[in-house]
Amino acid sequence: MIYKALLTGMLCYMLIPDLSHGGDHLLYFEAQGISGYSQREDEVIFYSRSQEDVMQKPSLGFDYLQRLSHQSGDFGAVAIQARVAYDDDNFEFQLYNAYLKLKHKSTDIWLGHNRPALGLSSYFDSHGLVLSTLAMNHFGFDRDWGIGVFRNFLWGDAGISLTTGSGMPLHFKGNYLFSIRVSRGILNQENYNSGFSLSYGKLLDTMGYHLMEDETEPFAITGVDFTYLWNQFENRFEIMAGKNRAQNSFAFFYRFGINLLNEGRLKFEAQPVYLKMGAEHTCEISMGSAFIVSGDVTVRTMYHFDYPGDDHKIIFQLYYYRKV
Amino acid sequence: MKRCMLVMVLITAVMGLQTTLRAAVGCDLNDPDRDVARLFPGSSGYKTLYVSIDKKGEGSLLREIEKRLGDKFQGLYETIDVPYTIYEIYQGKEKIGYIHGVNQKGQYGGIQVFLSLDLEGNIRSFYFQKLTSRAAKELRNPEFAKQFKGLNLLDFYPYDVVSGKGKTPNKVDAIINPAPKADFDFRAALRATKKNLILMDEFVLGNRYIKYFKSE
Repeated sequence: MIYKALLTGMLCYMLIPDLSHGGDHLLYFEAQGISGYSQREDEVIFYSRSQEDVMQKPSLGFDYLQRLSHQSGDFGAVAIQARVAYDDDNFEFQLYNAYLKLKHKSTDIWLGHNRPALGLSSYFDSHGLVLSTLAMNHFGFDRDWGIGVFRNFLWGDAGISLTTGSGMPLHFKGNYLFSIRVSRGILNQENYNSGFSLSYGKLLDTMGYHLMEDETEPFAITGVDFTYLWNQFENRFEIMAGKNRAQNSFAFFYRFGINLLNEGRLKFEAQPVYLKMGAEHTCEISMGSAFIVSGDVTVRTMYHFDYPGDDHKIIFQLYYYRKV
Repeated sequence: MKRCMLVMVLITAVMGLQTTLRAAVGCDLNDPDRDVARLFPGSSGYKTLYVSIDKKGEGSLLREIEKRLGDKFQGLYETIDVPYTIYEIYQGKEKIGYIHGVNQKGQYGGIQVFLSLDLEGNIRSFYFQKLTSRAAKELRNPEFAKQFKGLNLLDFYPYDVVSGKGKTPNKVDAIINPAPKADFDFRAALRATKKNLILMDEFVLGNRYIKYFKSE
């Protein structure tokens, strides 16, 4: 089974370049190897967070973007981003982007599996990274199934989404998540973006593709996030508070990064995270480095400690992402 | 465990088979709807195209472009498979111009230089999208951008991107650096503009300016 899946992936990779010669789409091949050591497990591990989470595990995947145009211009896009990940002696198919985006005047409307309009993860791409965001800590979702609207303004942007509140898998058990985020500042031009988010709904408790409970639980969260880039320094900050899975909750996130060497090839990051859900408190400290070996290959490392789990982890990632 | 190790080794082997020093750092407009309307008032839409040197002409095209630029393509922003995003601008069904941006190494990471061009390849407007510089305010000043208006590749050919000076008297030498303390970013902007114009000539203008190029 393993060999067949791997062989299929490799054959697909070899064949993909022959299918990609047009000018209205982008196709990338992705591969990553992950390994590390967990003091608590006292063994070598092949994931960056936990066995149940989707990111990051050894995987092969692709990232595809197709522009939709007619004679007088673009009217939308289709995006598909998927992986086959090695998961505890099994292979797991993971679908990240899977959406259709249509343009109406200056507004984008998307339908499918995409980023809900909640917090930093609504625009910060963590797809290949080993340090985690609040969305990967049960405060929102990195991707969710549903529909959304997004618009840029001169002063920033705004987004609204109505999603299933189930994350990676698609379930209908009375679950839903309504989110809205308004932000000021254009990160690519003004080097900062500060956002305010509101989110309300009934969520299913999922970890990756695993459904932990059949019952929905209420979710009502307010959040603020802030990103500021200055010279070679990067700062990302987020706070969320409210009811999460029916419990009074609070989350704090800060990531500091510094880019070194020519073209920022070397990056060091440090990240404290504090999570409170009901009576449970969790503190996490992560430190990481990333070295861009070439445009396609990046080597990342991470040291991670969490309390009260009292686990020290060291993770190594070899990440390959190439246009075909 | 053994299986997992095998998977990782095979993934690495696949990567090794295909790895060359390539990159894929594209340069998209942050908000195409707004930027197109601003740069081409009266336009009704745009079409996004992706073009890369490796798909169009591979190594020989890269060498040709380097010759016209007068410098080697280097680093993450200038590898052969960079997907250049070109916006064709329409008024109804009629094409009226282009917008194209390139990444360029600046003093503090990458900068992004966008040009809007008419169908003959003349610069209608110049602007920085991404720019992390101590002199960002001066470089983003519209008065600085105005100096590029009306120039084309013919004007940029005599400009030597390595020395930062013109080999013969030319209009580019007349562009005034608004922030002498940011000379690195100023010269990066000029190099990015020349690179941008050469790529557009190769990709969409049918090499109409190649006849003016004088190889040394």
